[in-house]
Parts: sequence; C-alpha cells; structure tokens
Amino acid sequence: MKLTDFEKRMLDGQFGKALAESLHYIVQFGEAFDAERLVDIQYCHYPAEMAIYEGSIEELQAFAADHSHVVVPTTSSTLCADMQYPEKTGIPERLAQKQSLTCSAHQKLGIQPTYTCTPQLNGAIPAFGSPIASVESSAIIFFNSMLGARTNRGGLFTKFSAVTGKYPKMGYLLEENRAGQHHFQVKDFPANSTEDSLWWSALGFVIGSSVGSEVPVITDMPIAPIERWITLGAAMATSGSVSLFHAVEHTPEAYTLAMAFKGKTPQTSKTIDKQMLVTAIEQMTNLLPNEKIDFICLGCPHYSLEQLRIISNRLQGKKVDPDVRFWICTSRMIRSMAQTAGYVQVLEEAGAKVIADTCPVESHMRISTCQEYHLPLPQIRALVTDSFKMARYTKDLIGCKVGLTTTEKAIQSALEGRYLVW
Amino acid sequence: MVKEYLGKGVVKGCVTAEVVSIPHSFSFLGDVEMNLGTLLTGENKGVSIKNKILLFSESKGSSGGCVVLLTLVKKQLAPAGIVTIKMPDYNLVEGAILSNIPFLANVSPTIFETVRTGSQATLSIHRDGFFDSFVLH
Repeated sequence: MKLTDFEKRMLDGQFGKALAESLHYIVQFGEAFDAERLVDIQYCHYPAEMAIYEGSIEELQAFAADHSHVVVPTTSSTLCADMQYPEKTGIPERLAQKQSLTCSAHQKLGIQPTYTCTPQLNGAIPAFGSPIASVESSAIIFFNSMLGARTNRGGLFTKFSAVTGKYPKMGYLLEENRAGQHHFQVKDFPANSTEDSLWWSALGFVIGSSVGSEVPVITDMPIAPIERWITLGAAMATSGSVSLFHAVEHTPEAYTLAMAFKGKTPQTSKTIDKQMLVTAIEQMTNLLPNEKIDFICLGCPHYSLEQLRIISNRLQGKKVDPDVRFWICTSRMIRSMAQTAGYVQVLEEAGAKVIADTCPVESHMRISTCQEYHLPLPQIRALVTDSFKMARYTKDLIGCKVGLTTTEKAIQSALEGRYLVW
Repeated sequence: MVKEYLGKGVVKGCVTAEVVSIPHSFSFLGDVEMNLGTLLTGENKGVSIKNKILLFSESKGSSGGCVVLLTLVKKQLAPAGIVTIKMPDYNLVEGAILSNIPFLANVSPTIFETVRTGSQATLSIHRDGFFDSFVLH
C-alpha cells in the first residue's frame, strides 16, 4: 500500500507506540482488500463498548489510556442501559457501574456522548462525498444512501480510524462500487404509508433478504419524512448487510435510474407489491391477533423529536394498560429536547417510558447476558413493535413472541394490552 | 476423495477442523448463542461453532456481529476459520484480523454440494501469491 510520509512516520512510531499500532491495524485491513492508499476521514461513529460483552470495557479503558484523543468529530453508539436514569431499564447496579466506565473513557477521548444508533438526528451530518468511518448498520446505510457520504460497514476498527483519522480507500469509498446492482419497482405501496413506519420496515426487510450485501435501486417511492428512510435502511441492514441503496428521485446519487446504475445494466429487476410486504409481516409475527401482550417497544432505530411529539400527542390524557411495559427509545440529546418541549412529561404521565442510550436488545434483557451475570430472565412474553429490526433480534436474543403492527396500532395495543394487527 | 476450492485469502492462517456448513446468509448477532457458541437458528440449530471452520454464503445483519465474534474468542468459543462465498463483510474481517482467524472469501457456491456440516477440511491462507484454499478431506 502506498503511504504518505506522514503516515509512514506514524507507522514508524514517531507519534507514539499506540498510534503506530492503531495505524498498523488500518494498514493490515486495507491490504486484506488490496486497497491502494489511505484517506483522511471527516467523521466517525464510534463503537460504544458495552458491559454485556466480556472484556470490552477493559479494552476501551486501555485504549483511552494509550491514546490522547480522537482527531475527527466522533459520536458514540448505544450502551446497554439508560445511563442518565439507569433505574428506568432496571439494569442491575454492578452492570450499570461497569457501563458507566465507558462514559468517562469516551469523555477523555473527546467523543460526543450521543450513545445512539441515529447520530444523524443528533446533528452528525457528514457532507456529500466525504469519507467517514461508522459502526451501526442502520446509521451506515443512512450516511451512504441519504447523505452520499462514503463508508463501509465499520466495526471495532472505527476506533483506530477515530484516533488516526485514516481509513483504507476501498469498498464504498470507491466510486465504481457505488453503482446500483438490482432494480426494485414498488407497486401499491400503501397510500397512508408516509405516516407509518411498518410498511417501510417491511419493504426494507424484503429488499435486504433479496440482495444480501449488494446495492438495490428502488423506484416509485413516495415523498416521505426522513424518519421513514431511516426505517427502510435499518430493515435492509437487518435481513441483509446492505450498506448502500439508491431511491430514484430521493437519494443524492440517483436523480435518474441511469444515474443510479452508473450506466450499467441491472443484474435483476423485480416488482414488490403490497402482498409481499404483508407476507413478510405475517412470517415475522408469531403472536395471534388480540393475544395478551406485556411489552411495546417503539424507537428502533432511535426516534426523532418529531416522532416523540407525534406519540405524545396521541397519548395525551390516555393511560397505558398497567400490565404493559411501553418503551420509546431515543437518544439522550433528543430526549433532552423533548423534555424542553414537554413531550416526555406527557408520555410518562400516560405510563410510557422514554428510554435513552439503549434498547431492549442491547440491554441486560438479552438472555445470554442474564445467564452470564446470573440475573433473573426478563420475563417478557409478548412484544409488539413497528420495526422488523426490533422484531428479528428480540425473538432470538430475548426469547419472546413478537407481533408487528403499524405505529398507530402499536400505541393502541399499549392502551388495550393486546396485540392489534395492522 | 480430496476436493479443493480456491478463493481470496483475506486473513492469513492454516487450520484443519470440522466444518459447519450454512448454505445461506448468517449474522453473528442473533444467529449465535454467546455463552455456548451454538447456533440459534436454521438447520444447524444447537450445533457448536467452537474450533470449527464456519462456512456460509455471506454476512447479514447488525454491525455488532464483529463484537460478538470477539466475545466468542474471549470465551474460547470462536470458530477456527471462516469461509464465505461472497466477498467478505468489512465488519467481520475486522473481527477476524483482531483475533487471527483465517478467512477465505469468494469461494464457488458449488462448495455446498460436497461440503456438509461434520465434513473435515483444511483451510490454508498465505496471501503470498500462491493459491489460498479450502481442501475437503
């Protein structure tokens, strides 16, 4: 790999052993994929070492001790508890104490304490064309597709990028790899879908299952709020490992169909109709209509201020069924705005909890975490959500039955304590 | 009969072990039980991936998969090698580099016609210009 003089000096240890080691991993990574050189990244979404992963916190502390600070604007991904109000998620104290060590290490490194899967809603908006390094599959696909920033599916190496400012020029950082490969024409997308996440989540799940890791191009989509596009991407990155999609007339690299495919011919062309989305919802759901439920979770990915406003409006003066836990997940930055706006108070008076920094799947409710820390199992029997991502992971990791429905019906399900189908 | 499959070596290393064959996409988050190293889903449900060569078509799902792989390494429950049909997921390769797990990608999908869960195979990846391969015994 061709390195600049500055990079060679860093690799030789002239800026310290820790930076040399971090850059060494980046170079090794680039060589594995035959990258020709490194690029300067403009932003990093950093892995939030979670207390539920063995040794993860200790590694972070050692890394923070060895490195002085990050060199690009850096936000942090989710934790395993609401660290502003740990009692809200019911996390055992020793796990919360361990997780809090992440916060001090991140502060030392100069990482913004966002602890979210939607950093873009916290103001992290990398410019079109800029190389970045990001974890969180739903954020990665958003940055690539909706903003036209350049990132691959980052993991633990994003921390090496944050301190060195470097990433190999490969994958979606190369223009030629950003061409669409598969064409999906969307037919009969439900008319009211722009107001509700479910159909977007279903569409994303169906497309992700079909393309795996390749680049889909979607046509005939309606104009819709940004939150719907976040939902669509999150689902594609759940059933597949899609990191980039183009939606003609909606995303910045696809004003036209020809532009989305960069002049190449689509490998496949498919039509997706409403029935295919209904089938996907039915296949993921294993709750029966009207079956009693004990958990509702909205906010996967983490909600925006507008989504919290809409739900608070809907729950104003209402009461959630006393047998139902109702979580609405968001980031602490958005929750703080929602507190200022008065939405949090309305939601909590109705009996819902506005949870920040985490979600059920990332929390101590994961069965493997309960077993490892000798905690009682979460005793969740039936969960209702509007998100395929939440449904897919809770099923196996928390071990509960799940029911997918529209956001509106999920709220109504919370009030009635039973699963209302879409 | 010895059968050889060539591919692109991504992470160096050599290992001989039993294979766990998953003829579709796979996610370390959600498809593996973290305390036991066993598969949670699909036709291999309950099968351990510990010290096995894990063969699957491609990665899917959360970018937390890389962290799950490293956690399995710490618990000594990780696979001994990884083979994929498609070009590998960047996220997963990061985990494989950090834990020195040999990784072979771009192998012909016909591998699923002969290689089954329980088959014995050798993975040899040198990345030195010679052929990197998966050899079924």
